[in-house]
Amino acid sequence: MKTQLISIAALFAALALAGPGNAQGAAAPPVMKKSGCANCHSLDKKKVGPSYKETAAKYKGNADAEAKLVTHLTTSPKVMVDGKEEPHSSLKTTNDADVKAVVAWILAQ
Amino acid sequence: MLKEKWSALKARCKTCSRVTLVLAVGFGALLVAGGLLAAGAAGLAWTNTESFCVSCHEMRDNVYAEFDGTIHASNRSGVRAICSDCHVPREPGPLLMAKILATKDLYHHLLGTIDTKEKFEAKRHELATNVWRKMKQTDSLPCRNCHVESAMSADLQSERAQSQHAKAKAEKLTCIDCHYGIAHTEPEGPGPQELDMSK
Repeated sequence: MKTQLISIAALFAALALAGPGNAQGAAAPPVMKKSGCANCHSLDKKKVGPSYKETAAKYKGNADAEAKLVTHLTTSPKVMVDGKEEPHSSLKTTNDADVKAVVAWILAQ
Repeated sequence: MLKEKWSALKARCKTCSRVTLVLAVGFGALLVAGGLLAAGAAGLAWTNTESFCVSCHEMRDNVYAEFDGTIHASNRSGVRAICSDCHVPREPGPLLMAKILATKDLYHHLLGTIDTKEKFEAKRHELATNVWRKMKQTDSLPCRNCHVESAMSADLQSERAQSQHAKAKAEKLTCIDCHYGIAHTEPEGPGPQELDMSK
């Protein structure tokens, strides 16, 4: 009885310590590795393009955020890089769910 | 003591001259020394293998798991980098120094300094900074051991890469200043460009 109570208490303690699940702590979706996003984008620092935190802040509270970003990551729109216009790379996937997962992750940073 | 040993040796070969005995002892010593050198080199080579590095779960479950799927792990041509290609110097002097200093890894493994995901995440930025610092001190030599700038073909490199590299040269940046978070998950916080290298 005593050992059972201790086990239950330990389980609750472990769950409490695990903390709230949040996308910020979650790892980036694997398709981002494949797509080479890190070549230009950092988590919170300046690389060639805006950081994910910057993008998340820019779109905070914006209802169109998901749609805009999905378009951005799948249609290769032109972007300005150091005064030069060039096409933005697209995610290397044809799976809509994968794209949405990436957008959700970015917006949660 | 030596005199006794010499007499014992002479007794074993009554017809052997002094020169012969000296040569025999010398040859034997050479064999032993050679054997020790070979064993030492083999041991050092073993500590440079991928399987050795990931035999510690701290590496296998964190940075190695993140490495999987990145361009240095698998790509079109199959030419890949392993842990030691980027994290262990190739020159003999710095290599030996790195191996001696790596005993701190054993120390921290025994202490359990980063033996859980939470502990590792808490130290991620510090560990990354250690690596970035070493890379900046050698002008990203681990990168340049394979990525030779003079061998980069302008025809095959994208326009963006060429303009970014020109910019980096003008701003006196080294590879790691931009190419971080490529092999392992990028930590939050100041990056290589923000490091105070005077410290």
